[in-house]
Amino acid sequence: MSSRYAIIGAFLLLLASTTIPLLYTYTSTLLESLDAGVAERVLAYRLYRSLYAILAGVVLAASGCMLQASLRNPLVDHYVLGIGSGSLFAVYTALLLVDHVSLWALSLSATIGGLVALALTVLVAESVSGSDVAYVLSGIGVTSLFSGLSVLLLHYVVRKYAYASLMLTGTFIHSRPDNLQYAVTALLLVLVGYFTLSKRLNALMLGDDYAAQLGVDPNLTRLLTSLVAGVSASIIVSQFGVIGFLGLVTPHIARFTLRTSDNRLVVPVAMATGSLLLYMTDTVSRALPGGVGEIPAGALISAIGAPFFLILLTRRFRGVLK
Amino acid sequence: MISAKNLTVTYRSSGVVALREVELTIPERTVTCILGPNASGKTTLLKALAQVINYIGVVEISGRDAKSMLRELRRILSYVSTLEERELLGVTVLDVLLYSRYPVSRGFLNTREDVDKAREVAVKLGIKGLLNRRLSELSAGELQRVVLAAALAREPRILLLDEPDSHLDVYSKTWLSGFLRETSSRVTVVLSTHDPLFASMTCEYFVILSRGRVVFTGSKSELLENIHVLGEVYGVAFASVPIGEHYVLIPLSSETHRAELASRGELSRQKTSCSSSNTRGDH
Repeated sequence: MSSRYAIIGAFLLLLASTTIPLLYTYTSTLLESLDAGVAERVLAYRLYRSLYAILAGVVLAASGCMLQASLRNPLVDHYVLGIGSGSLFAVYTALLLVDHVSLWALSLSATIGGLVALALTVLVAESVSGSDVAYVLSGIGVTSLFSGLSVLLLHYVVRKYAYASLMLTGTFIHSRPDNLQYAVTALLLVLVGYFTLSKRLNALMLGDDYAAQLGVDPNLTRLLTSLVAGVSASIIVSQFGVIGFLGLVTPHIARFTLRTSDNRLVVPVAMATGSLLLYMTDTVSRALPGGVGEIPAGALISAIGAPFFLILLTRRFRGVLK
Repeated sequence: MISAKNLTVTYRSSGVVALREVELTIPERTVTCILGPNASGKTTLLKALAQVINYIGVVEISGRDAKSMLRELRRILSYVSTLEERELLGVTVLDVLLYSRYPVSRGFLNTREDVDKAREVAVKLGIKGLLNRRLSELSAGELQRVVLAAALAREPRILLLDEPDSHLDVYSKTWLSGFLRETSSRVTVVLSTHDPLFASMTCEYFVILSRGRVVFTGSKSELLENIHVLGEVYGVAFASVPIGEHYVLIPLSSETHRAELASRGELSRQKTSCSSSNTRGDH
């Protein structure tokens, strides 16, 4: 696997999964024959919104692949490991403490919050047994801690920033042009991580000693991967809120479809899947029947992703008990 | 030739000294066996030789300090223990063979050579039909072959194997023994094992460890002449049994040992020794 043609194919798929939704948004909006002045603004809003859903899907899927490979744990993503809730707590704290906080400052505080939460989860999990289930349990603890604190802060934050409550479950409703540079930064970060770390992550999946004898420093690789995955996911949280389970589900879909674990192929295919899944979820979340209006895309993706997570957990436990 | 001088390994987390001032020389292109009871330092010694743990002292490969040639060492030395891949990450056999070529594979993508060598070694070890199977779908015997194939996929000059015979049935052990002896015509093989029978079927040179110290190094014939060393280390008597032109080592139950000695009238003489009355040199 991962011959030149396979990689080219994976990236063509990624390209298609990002451009076709944008084209769809563009043409479907034009076909609505809105008034000239309104159409322009609606089109711009919808294009930004679609682009952010796509970029967030790509980044969170890549982040999930990297976290799973580096921790050799099929049950984790940025949400399960507490990065999402840690980032959100830091965002709320920044919003509460600073007047007129910039998006840059929000990204920075989210990154710090996300990495602190990740460090906490890893420390607790490693002190227990380091098993994949220990990571999940430790992640649940850390997520609960920061989610609880976030909900507490929200009551104060929401007075200053009306959309803050939507960030709890992740949404693209408040997409603005100035989110773009942050989403692109996160994308560039995972792309650099992909090209520099994929081969090392392949070695690391076989064990720390195995990687070391191949010349891959396991701890350094894990640290770099955690930084890339943690920072990129935190940036996405700082802009659009917590979108759980997407990073967990997409790597498995890619591995299952490709029948390989090679991160050079799995990451781009997972990114393509993440892009499509989140775009479609965001589109569906705006068009639910019954006149309920819009629901956060993050809530819908959790409803799809969580059962998948439970299936994985069951299979994992069956594996342990075998 | 691999040599260790004054090799000491202390595990920082527990403070346990796993190896103490080990001195040894391992000849080239032979199968060398590291024997010793549990916690004697076998795995630690292999890891130190493979440069995957910190140690004090010097390990030399062909006269050069291993620490000064790490990049080259990763290409010429394969160390294999168990694969830690957890289920549901979907690692296939072909993946393992390709990932194991990391030190010799250039660039981001697999080269034609990488794929060819992986397939070649799979054919050689009879696992060609398993290439697209996931590791979690393999039997213990199949997995052991995959591990061996992965180690050989980058055509190393030195092969370090930690208990390659564990979980193998008799057929697979016999096959492995023959394969390693054949491989040693080109590659220096060092393995650890708990099975003296497998060791004596396979290895020409022996290193015996006890509580982190080397208590014996020498050829098979030298070991057979000093078989009491095994008895002292394991606390179990050993016998060397001739099979064709070779001698194999088998542990004796204490009853068998005593009965055998008694029947030969040697009980009083050898009461405190664990050496076998059948000790003979190898031919």
